Amino acid sequence: MFSFIGRSIVQKTITLFFVSVVSFLIIHLAPGEPSQIDPMNPKFTPEMVERFRTQFHLDKPLYVQYVYFYRDLFTGKIVSWKDNQSVLAKIWERFLNSLPLFIVGTLLTWTLSFPVGIRSAIYRGGVYDRSATFFSYLLISIPGFFFAYILIILVVTAFHVPVIGMETYGMGNAPWPNLFMDRIWHLLIPSALGATAGIAVLSRYVRSQMLEVEGQDYVRTAKAKGLPPDQVHYKHALRNALLPFVTMFGLILPGLIGGSVIIESIFSWPGMGRMAYEAILARDYPIILTVNFLSAVLVLAGTFLSDLLYLVVDPRIRL
Amino acid sequence: MTTKRFLILVPAIIILFLLQSYLWVPTYEEQTKGNPNRLNEYVTASLGDATLLNPVLSANSASSQIESMVFEGLIDYDEELRFRGRLATSWKVFEEAYFYVNDQAKISYGEAPDVRALVRLLENAKKNSTAFPPKVAGSLNRIESIILLPPEDSTVVKELKATDSEPKPDAVKIHVGAPARIKLVLSEVDQDLFNNLSVILGNDYFSTFDPAKFVTAESPIAETTLSTWAKEILPATEHNPVLIFNLRPNVKFHDGYPFDADDVLFTYEAIMNPKNLSPRVSDYEPVKSVEVLDPLKIRIVYKRLYSPAISTWGMGILPEHLLNAKALKKEAQALGKDPEAFSMRQSRFNRQPVGCGPFTFQEWKSDQFISLNAFEDYWEGPPNYKRYVMRIIPDLLTQEMEFYAGTLDSYNVQPHQVERLKDDPRFQSFSGTSFGYTFIGYNMLRPPFDDVRVRKALGMAIDVNKIIDYVLYGQGENITGPFVKQTDYYNHRIPPLPYDPQGALKLLAEAGFKRNKEGWLERDGKPLQFTLITNSGNDIRKAVLTIAQNAWRQIGIDVRTDLLEWSVFIRERVDKKDFDALVLGWQMPITPDLYQVWHSSQTHPYQLNFVSFKNERADQLIIKIRREYNHAKQVAYCHELHKIIAHEQPYTFLFVGKWMAVLDKRVVIKDIGEDGNMLYKKIKPTKTGSYTFHFNKWIKVPDMPQMTTEGW
Repeated sequence: MFSFIGRSIVQKTITLFFVSVVSFLIIHLAPGEPSQIDPMNPKFTPEMVERFRTQFHLDKPLYVQYVYFYRDLFTGKIVSWKDNQSVLAKIWERFLNSLPLFIVGTLLTWTLSFPVGIRSAIYRGGVYDRSATFFSYLLISIPGFFFAYILIILVVTAFHVPVIGMETYGMGNAPWPNLFMDRIWHLLIPSALGATAGIAVLSRYVRSQMLEVEGQDYVRTAKAKGLPPDQVHYKHALRNALLPFVTMFGLILPGLIGGSVIIESIFSWPGMGRMAYEAILARDYPIILTVNFLSAVLVLAGTFLSDLLYLVVDPRIRL
Repeated sequence: MTTKRFLILVPAIIILFLLQSYLWVPTYEEQTKGNPNRLNEYVTASLGDATLLNPVLSANSASSQIESMVFEGLIDYDEELRFRGRLATSWKVFEEAYFYVNDQAKISYGEAPDVRALVRLLENAKKNSTAFPPKVAGSLNRIESIILLPPEDSTVVKELKATDSEPKPDAVKIHVGAPARIKLVLSEVDQDLFNNLSVILGNDYFSTFDPAKFVTAESPIAETTLSTWAKEILPATEHNPVLIFNLRPNVKFHDGYPFDADDVLFTYEAIMNPKNLSPRVSDYEPVKSVEVLDPLKIRIVYKRLYSPAISTWGMGILPEHLLNAKALKKEAQALGKDPEAFSMRQSRFNRQPVGCGPFTFQEWKSDQFISLNAFEDYWEGPPNYKRYVMRIIPDLLTQEMEFYAGTLDSYNVQPHQVERLKDDPRFQSFSGTSFGYTFIGYNMLRPPFDDVRVRKALGMAIDVNKIIDYVLYGQGENITGPFVKQTDYYNHRIPPLPYDPQGALKLLAEAGFKRNKEGWLERDGKPLQFTLITNSGNDIRKAVLTIAQNAWRQIGIDVRTDLLEWSVFIRERVDKKDFDALVLGWQMPITPDLYQVWHSSQTHPYQLNFVSFKNERADQLIIKIRREYNHAKQVAYCHELHKIIAHEQPYTFLFVGKWMAVLDKRVVIKDIGEDGNMLYKKIKPTKTGSYTFHFNKWIKVPDMPQMTTEGW
């Protein structure tokens, strides 16, 4: 057990190092320069471009830049080129903004997928199953941004309430329950949108897992014993069907930092995804690389966590 | 079965909880109509967030929008695009010109090169100016005083250029024994002064001045290097335009601190300070010195004639007391940072600026909004709106929805929406031409683009009006040259190239291109074949690319097209001049300086004259325009230059876009009329199309106002 944890930490550190090197190279080898260095602006003389490059260490060899970057990252001194704000502080602020979206979206995905998928499996081939399948594929196929626009237009024209941003603009000093509920309302549509594709995919997955388990001998035995159908489905079948989902739980961890570029942009949500996207457009290397590094850490931590979870829930696995 | 109930209840509860929040949210009506404060707020939207709210450090549009409200410059443009005093009440431009006494030159009036005689000669000439040709007389009349400066010794340290063998340059000390010099103070700037004076002093008086004999180097260096340096240190003639601003008294910064000339000086120094990495350095490079004459008077001397420099004083003035070395040091210590490495770029000022503009900074929530409050002590009287808010909404459709709902007061209409929105009774709409144009540029180093007939024929084969109608939905205009269309500099007498494919074929035939058996044009067995490129991500340019390709193919030109990612496009193709023809656009400033884009000295790789346009007369005019301070003369030069460029067709000038903005109809101008009564007027755009010109007088009224001076 401990040797497994130790080995896995060493392996993951090595992977992380390679990820850091590769992502650094990709970003620096991609064409384009920070938006502060604008060669098409007649006001930019070559001396100024040079001065900016020196300031950002872009005139140094790549390996020196690499060392500088990670030194600054680990000492927490790294600042964004765009506005000289500390990158870690910016990421933390955005993380807190994206977190509610993530939590509500995940809650919706995971709580809705199970009842929908289980029912489909139990009444396999029925009207419910067919329509659930139809809607799943519909939701998977609709482009997110299109769906978002349709929803915004519908809600705004039908209900005349704001849906943009994290809170209603100009709420001012309303009492706190109003402020709180206002925030919840603003969470509803973007997180529901974020969850749709997840629900569609995950409920399909639940259905197929259930079907597989329902065909097992022990389920037939349980039915043959004369147990009530609910007990067969929800106790004997579901428990075993749940196993693969435990591992998936670890993998949602990276979603914490990814955010959603499209939904955050459409809803003017000041989250992580939007910040990372704008940083990429402006070639703000410190932000891009830090986000990249943190998400690599989370991916590795997520896989590690799911390994551990499997160990806990599946008694057949021993290390 | 509990599991089953649990699985159904939990999502149901979550969903119900989320849905009930709808009941708590204020509707748009409650926000916009039911809220009296909303009438005192102006809310606008921006696609991107600001970076640094400091006019010295940032140059992007979102930051500038806020900076223009918080900071104020010495001057700005008025309704007619002429300069107007803001923090400066008045200003004066004149010139100090210098030339070294040349004892080698023969003077047409007598032999003796005595310096005093020279002064007397000029003084006499001035008295009898009528005896000279009118041009010369004009220059003489501008001379206000003639001052003789005695010879002067000095030492200058110069650095040798680094070479491959010696990467570390040596410093060389140079002794300069400058000869006597004559200083002329002119009542106005005169770029032809020395040309005209040479009528009196002799044609080669200035050209034969040999500075090399007045300098000696301490260590041995090459003769040629020394003489180049000598020319730099002792220029035969020198124009030093002088700009004196009288500043407005009793102006206060938002923190109550009075504004004075030291703040102007400080702003200039902040821009020039290499630590600040200001993107505006090149604007102020021609400044020789800035001197505070008294607290309300500042004098700026320029190294050379450079008329666009005046407009740079529209730049927002920073408060010295918050950003000088002492204040920064204090801030660094408070933050526990190294005071040596701490510059204005790190200061928290950039996120909570203080200026002397009409609005004071209140709050900035990154990627959400920036809000400003009216400044009650604004020198022109406080603006009517109590608050100004810029919301950051990165998506156009959401901006549009918010505008319809009333939580935004303005919306920049996209070309395809113009038809729908321009006559909408709920809104008032404004439109105008923008300051940028789109063009097809030809690489004139590559045949056949070195032939003006070919360039002209290519332009004639494209139906620009169709592009305007179908690509821009009619939201564009023809343009024939590189000046801003609504300024005087633009020559309206030049007709746009006609759409005439037959005429184009004729011109191409003159240039030697005939149709071959397959129908393609060819010359000496070589088909007319090239690639037209542009950057990806701009749908309008992409459409132009296709239309041009189609138009040219129809007259038998084998055109390929390519779309490249912006940075590849710029760095690999434009900068290295590796292209045949390209579609691109320029944003133009109001000042008519075309040096970097059109002068023949700017044709090297990585410079902006990437089409390699070279024309001697154009070069002369570009320099003259830069040096001319008289508006009428500048306009005349610009018109001639415009004509040359239109004739040479280095670009096929396609179109200049039009913008349209819609505003809530209840936003009006509130002003005090001549009789002292309150007056409500409809917002009218200025001649140049700026509808926000009177922004400080805007206010939103609860209903359509009844008091009117002009019909609604």
